[in-house]
Amino acid sequence: MLHVENLTKLYAPGESGGGIRGLSFDVTAGEFYTLLGPSGCGKTTTLRSVAGLEEPSAGRMTIADQVIFDAAKGIFVPANHRRLGMVFQSYAVWPHMSVFDNAAFPLRMLPGKQWGDADIRRLAMRTLETVGLAEFAPRSAAQLSGGQQQRLALARALVAEPSLLLLDEPLSNLDALLREQMRSELRRLQKEVGVTAVYVTHDQSEALALSDRIAIMRNGRIVQIGTPYQIYHQPRNAFVATFVGRSNLFRGKLLERNNGHARIATALGPVLCQAPNDVGGPPPAAALIRPEHVVLTAAGAGDSASNRFRGRVFQMSFLGEATEYVVQVGKVEILVRSMAGQYAGSEDVEVYFPPDKTLAVAADEI
Amino acid sequence: MTIAVARDGGRSSTARYSPQVIVLIALLCVGVIPPFVFLAYSSLHELDPSGAFGVFTFGHFAAIFSSRTFNSVIVNSAVYSLGSALLALVIGAAQAWLAERTDAALRQVLYVSSIVSLGIPYVLYIVAWILFFGKAGPVNATLQQMFGGTEPYINVYSLGGMIFVEGMLWSPLAFLLLSPVFRNSDASFEEAASICGAGLFSTLRYVTLGMARPALLALGLLVFIKASESFEVPALVGLPGSTRVLTSTIYQRLTLDMPPDVGSASAFGVLLLVVMAVLLQIYSRVAAQAHRYQTVTGKGFRPRVIRLGRWRYAAGALIVAIPFIVVIVPLATILWAALLPYYQPFSLKAVPLLGFGNFVQVLNSPSFRGSIVNSLVLGASTATLVTALSAVAGWCVARRVAGSRLLDGLAALPLVFPAIVLGLAFLEIFVHAGSRLYGSLLSLVVVSIVAYIPYGLRYAQLGVIQIHPELEEAAAIAGARQPRTFIRVVLPLLIPALISCWLFVFLLAVRAVSLMLLLAGPDSQVVAVTLFDFWNNGQVGELAALGCVWTAIMTVFCVAFLVVARRYQLPIG
Repeated sequence: MLHVENLTKLYAPGESGGGIRGLSFDVTAGEFYTLLGPSGCGKTTTLRSVAGLEEPSAGRMTIADQVIFDAAKGIFVPANHRRLGMVFQSYAVWPHMSVFDNAAFPLRMLPGKQWGDADIRRLAMRTLETVGLAEFAPRSAAQLSGGQQQRLALARALVAEPSLLLLDEPLSNLDALLREQMRSELRRLQKEVGVTAVYVTHDQSEALALSDRIAIMRNGRIVQIGTPYQIYHQPRNAFVATFVGRSNLFRGKLLERNNGHARIATALGPVLCQAPNDVGGPPPAAALIRPEHVVLTAAGAGDSASNRFRGRVFQMSFLGEATEYVVQVGKVEILVRSMAGQYAGSEDVEVYFPPDKTLAVAADEI
Repeated sequence: MTIAVARDGGRSSTARYSPQVIVLIALLCVGVIPPFVFLAYSSLHELDPSGAFGVFTFGHFAAIFSSRTFNSVIVNSAVYSLGSALLALVIGAAQAWLAERTDAALRQVLYVSSIVSLGIPYVLYIVAWILFFGKAGPVNATLQQMFGGTEPYINVYSLGGMIFVEGMLWSPLAFLLLSPVFRNSDASFEEAASICGAGLFSTLRYVTLGMARPALLALGLLVFIKASESFEVPALVGLPGSTRVLTSTIYQRLTLDMPPDVGSASAFGVLLLVVMAVLLQIYSRVAAQAHRYQTVTGKGFRPRVIRLGRWRYAAGALIVAIPFIVVIVPLATILWAALLPYYQPFSLKAVPLLGFGNFVQVLNSPSFRGSIVNSLVLGASTATLVTALSAVAGWCVARRVAGSRLLDGLAALPLVFPAIVLGLAFLEIFVHAGSRLYGSLLSLVVVSIVAYIPYGLRYAQLGVIQIHPELEEAAAIAGARQPRTFIRVVLPLLIPALISCWLFVFLLAVRAVSLMLLLAGPDSQVVAVTLFDFWNNGQVGELAALGCVWTAIMTVFCVAFLVVARRYQLPIG
């Protein structure tokens, strides 16, 4: 559906962040595609370039095989001709119009008076019903609460049945409970309507919960593209590993690699890990294990050859559904999330990293 | 001697009024109540030939309502006010939009020209347009050359001419007041419209203007009110063409009717007062909503600047054209008139006659120099006294001490008086109760103070509001009592607001024509009235020369005012 090729937009040298360099990705029809990354990584710039609100300096973009931007040929389709829907971070609901007029606006802007008044009314009301705002239709949009405004923004974006729906951190202004509710609403709606969605966020849990695929961005480039499962369990490098989910990362040196396994020398000692046979990328130089995969048992003899290390419980936090421990092995602190047992502070324990759950990852690229 | 410092909502009606408040209320009553009383009295009583009040009568009002011309006067007033408001609004809004929301070339020109135009005396400005569009003016001459004929194509002495000049007069203020409206609007509203399929004009129409509507309405109403109480344009442009509105009718009854029909003029005055009171009530409601849709978020937003592309330079040309028309053309016309011994239409034949004779005459003549001095003295004393009163009164009102509501109400009353009506009311006061004051510069100062106290109070009040009450409370806790706290803590912080206040009142006082017209005597000639008299006597050259000198002096004050107001973020209108 959306094809982005070699997109570049740079701001003045010295201006902090937001530029993108040589960005390429594809979004298939009906997919929920998320651009995830820290502030200044360029995800909003990318979204706004797709929307037509920013003009990149190089690259090419097509939507449903129609070229909307081609720097080399000088093609730039303005935003109001791209037939997209967009939900802004601040919702941008027009306070001087009623809820109905907000929702009906895109239909009224269609060229050539495509819809008559009765049809506009029918379509707009139908979309308002879908988001649960039908009874607010005659009211002024300024009277809506934050969550309601967000739903109105969504209705407005969807009413003209766009080919692509763009969402710029739409949940970040909501309180935690509402955010959870709207998250599932959003997902349900997108699947129901079947519209292709490109979503921008810095919240990794949101990205994991909502997306079909995620593109992790950093400093204007895409670092990894994959399904939530792939991103979480097969991070390409240390940055992705630490940005998505919590992790224990042990940097070190590669000792040997063969047959999908690798041994990395770390401050703990040698660690045996999984190593995907990724011939093209940089060699792995760190071992990663997620806190929930670390096995915590009572003290025994630490046998480093099989990923067992002896340590001491430094801190314990009871979370209800699990308990988190910080275990000190020598000078290294390891975060463990465990459902079994209760170890008190300063107790001697043993941590075990199952090799099939431990991953060898590349160190950060600069 | 302590003044109870009350916080928001903590007003106690049982608290005694402090001496300061009592004095202020008494002063205001002396200044503000008599005009109402005298005006109402004169409208309801016959006037004896000796000048004393006679019997009670409704005759004046009856005569007005039954007069043949009454309907046309009302209709003219309404059309004139509405037309001027629309014209000023359209020009001001177009300029504000171009300056704040596009990347048109030469945007700064608009700000500079608006500042300059505020320094031009109204009479001078109006005369310039009359000369430009007049029978012997360049516009008619050009049209006659192009299309033939000897009759002028444009008659400036018409309702249309009045609307044009008054609209032009208010467009710089409209621009300055609308610029913040277009500046303080989040870009995402218009970006959303763009994504929804709206092109440039649809976005402008449905979103930009839609969200600016409350502010546009408030501004339009403001200009409507200003036009309704205006005098210079109706007198200079309307009367020669027999187009009468309410204010010029009052003037006519007093100066052109023999003997002066004070009763009828007073009745018109009362009528106008009622109209103004209603309009001001409506305005205060509308103005409260004016900034409803403006957003200033903390997220580092910018308003969306429309890239005009190829249209940048066309828009730039338009930007230069507007002040060219609004400011340069009138100034050039005046300069032309000032440099000629007697006024002639623009032609190359007249060029050898150009000279500084008029300027020499103005600068050498003791009576003209006297006018300039009188105006400066009038302006300075009014400004100083109003500022001093406002500083104390403004503090009392802003801190909501006991009696502040009464104080605020009294100080706002003069707003209801159009200048010509206030002048008439004080004329009656001086004739009946203070004949030694009549015609003196002191009388002009007194009238000015009453007229401009509402403006002074507003500036001082805003200034005090910007000072957090805790600063004074800290002084109180440290042991200081009033008035020490006021002098040592409040006053130094209030200085920028007071400077703004002083300059603003100064500029108002020296520009006032109709306020002084009925009261100025041979010893108290001021520049504004002198210019008016020159025009009536056909002394165009002297008018132009004096006007140019005066404009130069005034521009200095205007620039000073704008610099201070901008720097300390105080209002300009």
